[in-house]
Amino acid sequence: MIVSVWRYSHLLFAIISSIFLLIASITGVILAVEPISNKIEPYSVSGADELSLAETLENLNAKYEEILAISRDRNGFISVTAIVDGKNEAFYIDPFTGEKLGALLQKKPLFQFATNLHRSLFLKSTGRFLIGLASFLLVLIIISGIVLIAKRQGGFKQFFAPVVRENFSQYNHVVYARFSLIPLLVLAITGVYLSLLRFDVIPDTQVALQVDFDSIQEEPFKEYTEFDLFKTTPLSELRELEYPFSEFVEDYYIIRLKNKEVYLNQVTGDVLAEEKYPTVQVMSSWATVLHTGEGSILWSIVLGLGSLAIPFLTVTGFIVYFKRPKTKIKNTYNKNEGTYIVLVGTERGTTLQFAQEFHKQLLSAGKKSHLALMNQYTHFKKMEHLIVITATYGQGEAPASAEKFVQLVKKHPQKQAFDFCVVGFGSTAYPNFCQFAYEAYEVLGNLENSAALQDVFTVNDQSFEAFNNWSDAWSRKVGLNILLEKPKLAANSLPPSTFEVINKAEIPEDDTFLLSLKNLNGSIPISGDLLSVIPEEGARERLYSIGKLNAETLLISIRRHEQGLCSNYLHQLGQNEKLTATVVDNRNFHFPKNAKKTIFIATGTGIGPFLGMIEENSHKKEIHMYWGARTTNSFNLYKNYIDKALQDGKLTNFKTAYSRNQPEKIYVQHLIKQDKELFVEVLKKKGCIMICGSIAMQKEVLQELQQLCNEHLGKDLSHYQNRKQIKMDCY
Amino acid sequence: MKNSIIKTVGALGLACALFILSSFVKEPEVSYKCMIQMTNYTGEKAYVVVSLINPDGTYEKTLYVQGDDKEWFPDLKNWWEFSDGTKENVDAISGATIGNGERNIISLGFNAAHIDAGYKVRFESAVENQEYYAVDAEIPLNSATIKEKVDGKGYIRYIRMVPNR
Repeated sequence: MIVSVWRYSHLLFAIISSIFLLIASITGVILAVEPISNKIEPYSVSGADELSLAETLENLNAKYEEILAISRDRNGFISVTAIVDGKNEAFYIDPFTGEKLGALLQKKPLFQFATNLHRSLFLKSTGRFLIGLASFLLVLIIISGIVLIAKRQGGFKQFFAPVVRENFSQYNHVVYARFSLIPLLVLAITGVYLSLLRFDVIPDTQVALQVDFDSIQEEPFKEYTEFDLFKTTPLSELRELEYPFSEFVEDYYIIRLKNKEVYLNQVTGDVLAEEKYPTVQVMSSWATVLHTGEGSILWSIVLGLGSLAIPFLTVTGFIVYFKRPKTKIKNTYNKNEGTYIVLVGTERGTTLQFAQEFHKQLLSAGKKSHLALMNQYTHFKKMEHLIVITATYGQGEAPASAEKFVQLVKKHPQKQAFDFCVVGFGSTAYPNFCQFAYEAYEVLGNLENSAALQDVFTVNDQSFEAFNNWSDAWSRKVGLNILLEKPKLAANSLPPSTFEVINKAEIPEDDTFLLSLKNLNGSIPISGDLLSVIPEEGARERLYSIGKLNAETLLISIRRHEQGLCSNYLHQLGQNEKLTATVVDNRNFHFPKNAKKTIFIATGTGIGPFLGMIEENSHKKEIHMYWGARTTNSFNLYKNYIDKALQDGKLTNFKTAYSRNQPEKIYVQHLIKQDKELFVEVLKKKGCIMICGSIAMQKEVLQELQQLCNEHLGKDLSHYQNRKQIKMDCY
Repeated sequence: MKNSIIKTVGALGLACALFILSSFVKEPEVSYKCMIQMTNYTGEKAYVVVSLINPDGTYEKTLYVQGDDKEWFPDLKNWWEFSDGTKENVDAISGATIGNGERNIISLGFNAAHIDAGYKVRFESAVENQEYYAVDAEIPLNSATIKEKVDGKGYIRYIRMVPNR
């Protein structure tokens, strides 16, 4: 449960501190403007920093009768405090001429308000404590966040590797957290430091110089312009210079430089006392500058943006948390009653949903099914069939609910014989796809009384179709009839539209047909989007990839199944008949805008969306198409489209693999091997490979591409997938 | 009868004229340079207010406020009662707070008539969440003794004053 500990502490600290952090970050953004607006005031005099203290004093003394102090702030502005007409005055000056440049900057009421809210929430010490605590929690949130990112990315080395996009909140939470990591860490740590300083946990040590008044000399007299310190110290080193209070020799110059404090005899120019600032004071000064951005426009901007990230991260973080499926396991049969044991390894709960659906259907088929987490593996007295459904975390590690599985399997041998199968959930966008499923398979296979029913079955990107395929295959093997219910597509679908059938082309021997549909109202899809068709009320929806020929005409290519409810429904539609269906956005399968070269790989009816993309390729970008089918005959349905595209230059190349034309079977994956130079080049030069067709073909093709990547590119296939150079739509 | 009316009117007119004239005549001002040296206490920066106290021992006017955030003014209880009550505008005579061990040099202006006339300069001080000193230091406005160093009882170590050049 190591990941969970980090995750829960990340969440817990965020919940505790969220309100304070929101207040502090929003006021922080406002306060980031202050140093910028100060810095751009016109009080900076060029060349002033190179002026020596002697020259500065000479210039100023000539202009003012009684000066009390000269100081230089973090913006590099020089100011004097002087008595003018019997009154105290402080203002910025030009150190060359002594001329007054303007009154000292007053803190604007907005900034004063924001500062108070930022520091103490208007609650004085209580508020200061709360803000300090929130700051400390922010440090912890950041540390746990760093660990979580490292785990998710598969190690600290991959920390800045591209993030796999699951949804908006998850993706941007990670991406922006990485961007704002440094400023946030600096803000949080300096915030804690300043709080500790406030509450005297860190002692604020002062320089306490002692002057030996007995040994003060009154001669030899020296002009102040001849004092060594004044002559050798540039104005850039100065923080503050206080004039002697009176003309008595016991009163002296007090000079605070960047690194030390010096007392200077006003008559002889001797150093009366001198001390470097203690480390704490130097650190405090740094902490202040780093926290406030005072004196630096660039750093203020960085801090402001970092502050701005906090509300964003808070909101997306909570969305990620609340969107995470929280499904509780309920069982009708306990672990000793179940003959079917379904075990789940899940990190974020998504895999559990699939397992639950499967478990539910087993129960409704009248089977005694028991659902549990993989970490709950123990003696199952009546187990006959074990079904393990597991995700993989990070670099092929066990997910949170399966970390102890391997040990437990060894620790609890079963008394009776049983068969098992393993379904792996994962994303080929991560390296070591479904690694843990294979590991679980091996551990179970090594038991004496276990029998594997089938090989590890992998499901990519939570594809319901793939999971359904597995469920069909499995239930046939054990002699059951299990029908899974598809979870409702939550978002991204437009309201239903009406389409008119304008053409149907068919090859009966091949059981395939092409429907041209006219879009009668509204929703204009993009080639690669899906058309969701529900053939009759209550029936499960079917999805077909759309090829868009023009703004009005869509093409869907369909294989007719003997028992297929939907394909037969579509097949019986006549010319000009109307069809109601919904367009579903399928952003991950749109034609890449920026790729110079694109490769299409399809089998059978998978060619459908590509016909649309080719038709729309008016810029005549390079497209290479590989298509697999059973016989040459299958091609006749698409021949006109392909021939015309080749003629128009919208398609560069068309290669086919017919599996049944000749004695030895040829598949599309064999073509990849033949043309590997092209594939390597496309991947190298940021081109794109799009795959559409059956899941079986997808697996073979990915395997082939993986090998190609390993041998010729020295990178994992997931690297390219993460960069959206591999796009897939398989069923 | 007529005479006495003329006399009265004349006297009143003269008094009026004198009164109006007197407001144009600038009263001589004496200005002193004043150093406030803080002790090495621990805590936030101190708020110090300098006021003129009349011979009756009550506040005459505020001379200087060391502290720029009004949020903390009520902490200087006695002075705040007076200053808030008389709606004084202290913006023009306030400066930044100073921390422990630091010193602040200011210029204080007095009406010459107040010198050697039983008036005093009072320094009161407060620090956030710490004790309030109603009289941290007090210096009689006496030209003979004013240059002497006066020790403070609270956050102020000592006060020194010298006439301005």
